[in-house]
Amino acid sequence: MSHANVSIATPQPVGVMESSPFSIPSKKLVMWLFIVSDAVTFTAVLFAYGYLRNATPNWPHPFRFSPSIINVMVMTFILVTSSFTMLLGVRAAKEGNKSKAILWTFVTVAAGLVFALLHIREWMGLIGEGVRLFQNPWGSGLFGASFFSVTGLHLLHVIGGVAVLTVVALGYKRGRYNSDDLEIWGLYWHFVDLVWMFVVPFVYLLNITRAS
Amino acid sequence: MHDMSHATEHHAHTPPQGFIRNYVFSLDHKVIGKQYYGLGLVAVITGMVLSWIMRIHLVWPNFAIPGLGLLSKAGAPGGIVTPEYYLQLMTMHGTLMVFFVLTNVPFAGFGNYFLPIQIGAEDMAFPRFNMMSFWTTFVAFLVLIAAFFVGDGPPLAGWTSYAPLSAVGGAAGPGEATGQTLWAISIAIFCIGQLLGSLNFISTTLDLRTKGMTLWRMPLSTWSWFITSCIGLTAFAVLLPACILLILDRTAGTSFFIPSGLVINDKLQPHSGGSTLLWQHLFWFFGHPEVYIAIVPAMGIVSHILINSMRRPMLSHRVIIYSLLAIGFLSYMVYGHHMFVSGMNPFSSLAFSFPTLLITIPSTVLVLIWIGSLYGSKLRITTASLFALGFISMFVSGGVSGFFLAQPSLDIYLHATYFVVGHFHMVMGVAAIFGMFAGTYFWFPKMFGRMMNETLGRVHFWLTFVGTYCIFMPFHYLGLAANVRRYSAFVDDYLQPLLGVHKFITIAALFTGAVQLIFLYNLIHSRFRGALAPANPWEATSLEWTMPSPPPFDNFGGRHPVVYHDPYQYGIEGATNDYVMQDSPEEIKSVRDER
Amino acid sequence: MKTAEEHKTGGITKYFVVYLAILVIAGLQIVIAYQNIDPSQMIFRMFALAAIQAGLAIMFFMHLWTEKRVLMLTLAFATIFVITTMNMIWTDSFRLLGGVPFAKYQ
Ligand code: HEM
Ligand SMILES: [Cu+2]
Repeated sequence: MSHANVSIATPQPVGVMESSPFSIPSKKLVMWLFIVSDAVTFTAVLFAYGYLRNATPNWPHPFRFSPSIINVMVMTFILVTSSFTMLLGVRAAKEGNKSKAILWTFVTVAAGLVFALLHIREWMGLIGEGVRLFQNPWGSGLFGASFFSVTGLHLLHVIGGVAVLTVVALGYKRGRYNSDDLEIWGLYWHFVDLVWMFVVPFVYLLNITRAS
Repeated sequence: MHDMSHATEHHAHTPPQGFIRNYVFSLDHKVIGKQYYGLGLVAVITGMVLSWIMRIHLVWPNFAIPGLGLLSKAGAPGGIVTPEYYLQLMTMHGTLMVFFVLTNVPFAGFGNYFLPIQIGAEDMAFPRFNMMSFWTTFVAFLVLIAAFFVGDGPPLAGWTSYAPLSAVGGAAGPGEATGQTLWAISIAIFCIGQLLGSLNFISTTLDLRTKGMTLWRMPLSTWSWFITSCIGLTAFAVLLPACILLILDRTAGTSFFIPSGLVINDKLQPHSGGSTLLWQHLFWFFGHPEVYIAIVPAMGIVSHILINSMRRPMLSHRVIIYSLLAIGFLSYMVYGHHMFVSGMNPFSSLAFSFPTLLITIPSTVLVLIWIGSLYGSKLRITTASLFALGFISMFVSGGVSGFFLAQPSLDIYLHATYFVVGHFHMVMGVAAIFGMFAGTYFWFPKMFGRMMNETLGRVHFWLTFVGTYCIFMPFHYLGLAANVRRYSAFVDDYLQPLLGVHKFITIAALFTGAVQLIFLYNLIHSRFRGALAPANPWEATSLEWTMPSPPPFDNFGGRHPVVYHDPYQYGIEGATNDYVMQDSPEEIKSVRDER
Repeated sequence: MKTAEEHKTGGITKYFVVYLAILVIAGLQIVIAYQNIDPSQMIFRMFALAAIQAGLAIMFFMHLWTEKRVLMLTLAFATIFVITTMNMIWTDSFRLLGGVPFAKYQ
C-alpha cells in the first residue's frame, strides 16, 4: 500500500478523504454486509422450511437420540470449538505471532473438515434409511427436501469456508495476506457457526422421535 | 478472494494496455458502467421488438410476422403466434425489461459510471468485484436468451414465474421444460451479480468520499444509488434462494411450490405438500423492493438534473433524502399488495394495504417537492430537463392508480386486468426509462466527450412523451372495462368492442417504437460526429463536471478533490458565475449550504 | 485500530466463558427438546436460546461489541428489520394443510 490516496483499507490519511462512518476497513465492511445479506438468505430458506412444516400434517420425526442427536451434539461441539480456535488464530495474528495464528487457523480448518465429514456421514445414513429429496419412509416427502436444502446450503458454506481459510492461511504465511484478511474471513467462519445455531434447534430438535 | 486484498493496491495512473484489459475485462468503473448501459440497450431493443410482436398479434391475429417462424417452428408456425408463444414472448419481454433494463441501466449503469466520480473517488472500492458483477450479469443474460433457442422455446409463466406453472416442468406447456429452468438459473445468476454490485456500491459510498464530501453533501443521484444498493443487498438475497428452490422443484423432484393432487393435462403430478403461495411470498418479498430498485435511481437522477436546469436547489435537500429512505424501508412492508387475489390470508390483505397507502406519502412528498421547486423557477429547457419533467408526469399519472390498487376490495376487480398493466408500465416502466433518457442526454457529453443533438433530442422527447401516454393511458380504461391481461386474443364476447382501443394502442406502440430510432441515431451519430463537449456544458456544480469530458482514466488525475459546498449551489448572487462548483473554495453566504 | 488493542488487553478468559456459554445453551436446547411442552412454547424457547447464542457469537467472537456503536446499530437494525418484515409469510402457513387453503377449517 504505497500510495496514500487510495488506501481504502486501514489507516485513512488525514485530510485526503472523509473518514468512514464505521471506522473499519472497507473489506471488513463488505464482509459484514455480505453477512447481513447471507443471513437474509438463510432466513428465507429456514422460513420456507418452517412454512411448509407447519402446514404439513404428516411431518416425520426421524431423529432418535442415538445416533442422530448425539451426532448433532458432537457436530455442534466441533463447530463452536472451531469458532473459538479461529478467534485464537485471529488474536495471535493481531499480536504478530504468525506461526501461532497459522496453527490455530489450520486447527479451525481441520475442525471444519471433520464437521463436513460427520455431516456427510449423517446424510449417507439418512439416505441409507430411504430418505430422498422427495420421499421418505415416514411421512411427508417435504422433509427430505427441506432437510437437505437447509443443511446443504449450510454445508456448502462450511466447505467454502474451509477452502477460503486454507487459501488465506497459506497466503498469510507467504505474506500475501495480512492479519486483517484473516480476521475478515474469521468473521465469515463465525457466521457459519452462527447459522448452525439456528439449524440445530429448528431442523433437528423439532423433529426428534418421541417415546409416545 | 484475491481481489478483496488487492483492491486496496489498485492504483494505476496509466490505463492498462491492450483491448481486452481496456474494454472487455476492464476494472475501470467507467467502462463497466458503459458495459451495463450497452447490455441494457441490447435488452431494451430485444424487449421492445417482443412487445411489438405481441401487440401486432393481439389486434391482427392472422398477420404473419416475417422471420418469426424461423425462430420457433412450433411457437409461430408460418409467423403466426400461437397463444402459448404469446405468453412466452410476454415472459421474455417482462424479464428482460425488469431485470436487464430497469435494474441494469439506471442503477448499475449510471451508478457505476458516476457514483465514484460524484464522491470524488478514483474508482469503486473493489474494482475486481465490479468487473465480476458485470460479467455475472452478462452470463445471466446469455442464459436467459438461450431459452429462445432450446427445446420448445422460452418459458410462459410470466416475469413473476408463478408456481405451480413454473414448477411442474414440461407438462405445463411449451417452454416449461428447459426454458423455465434456464429462466430460474439466469435469475439466480443475476441475483449474484446484483449482490456483488450492491456490496461494492455501499462500501464505495461509505468509504471513498473525498475530503469535505460529507453524506449530506452527496448529490441526490449518489444518494439514490446508495439507497438502491441497500435495498438490493437484502431483496436479491431472498430471490436467490427462491430460485434455487424452484430449480430443485423442477430438476430434483422436490415439491416446495407444488401442492398435492395437482392434475395437469389429465395427469396427476407426482408431487405433494408444497405451497404455491410460498413462491409468491418469496418472490414478492423481492419483487416489491425490486420495483423501487428500478425507480429510486431515476428519482435521484431526475432531481439532480432538474436542480441544474432550475438553477436553484430543491425546496429541501434533506426531505428528498428522507423520503427516499422512507420509501426504501416501506418497500419491505407492502409486498403482499401483489397477492390480494392469490388466496392469501384475507387478514394479511389488510395488513399489507395499510403500509401500501402509507408509501404513497413519501412518494407524494417527493412529487410535491419537485413541483414546488419548479414553481416560479426559470427552467432551462433542454432535452434532459424535458425528460425529467416527463418522468414526473409519468410517475404521477401511473402512481395515482396505485391508490386504487392498494385497496383489496378494488384490487379484486382490477388485479387481472389491463389496469395493472397500465399502472406499472407508467410508474415503473416508462418513468424509469424517462429517467434513463434524461440521464443519457445529461451525461452523454461527459461520458463520450461529445454533445448530443438537442433538436433531435427534443423531437425525440415530444414524440415519445405523447406516444407513451397514448399507449399506456388507455390501458387503464381497458382495465376498468374488465379487459383481462395475459390473453393472446380478444376474439369473442364482451372484449370485441374494445378491439378499437387495442388497435389504437398497437399503432401508438409501433409509432413510439419507431421514434426510438431517432434516439439511436442521435446516440450513435453524436458518439462519432457530435460537437466536442466542454468540461462543463450545463454549468453544473457537482464533481463530475470538474474534469475533462470524457474523464481521464483515473478520474481526478491522481489528486483528491476537496469539497467545500453541497452539490447544489446555484443562483448564487455575487459569485463569479451564478453557481459555485462543489470543489471551489469560494466563500458563499448561502443559507442552504449543507455541512 | 482500537479493536486490535482491545484484543490484546481483553484476555482470553472472557472469550472462553462465551465459548462455554454457547455450548451450555446448546445443551440446554437439547434438554428442552425432550420436554413435553406445547410446540409453540418449544419453538419460542428454542428461538430465544438460539438468539442468545447468536448474540454472544456476534458480539464477542465477531467483536461487534467493541466496534463503533453505530456499526452495531446499523447492522442489527437492517437485519432485524428485514427479517421481521419477512414474518408476514406465516399467516398463510397457519391456514394451509398440505398446501390446501382453509383445509383446517373443513
Ligand atoms: C404510489 C404508490 C404505489 C402504490 C400504492 C402501488 C400499488 C400497487 C398495487 C396494489 C399493485 C398490485 C396490483 C395487482 O397486481 O392487482 C401494484 C402493482 C405493480 N406496481 Fe405499484 N404501486 C405504487 C407505485 C409503484 C411504483 C413506484 C412502481 C415501480 C417503480 C410500481 C410497480 C408496480 C408493478 C411492476 C406492479 C405489477 C407487477 C405484476 O403484476 O406483474 N408501483 N402496485
Ligand atoms: Cu408493489
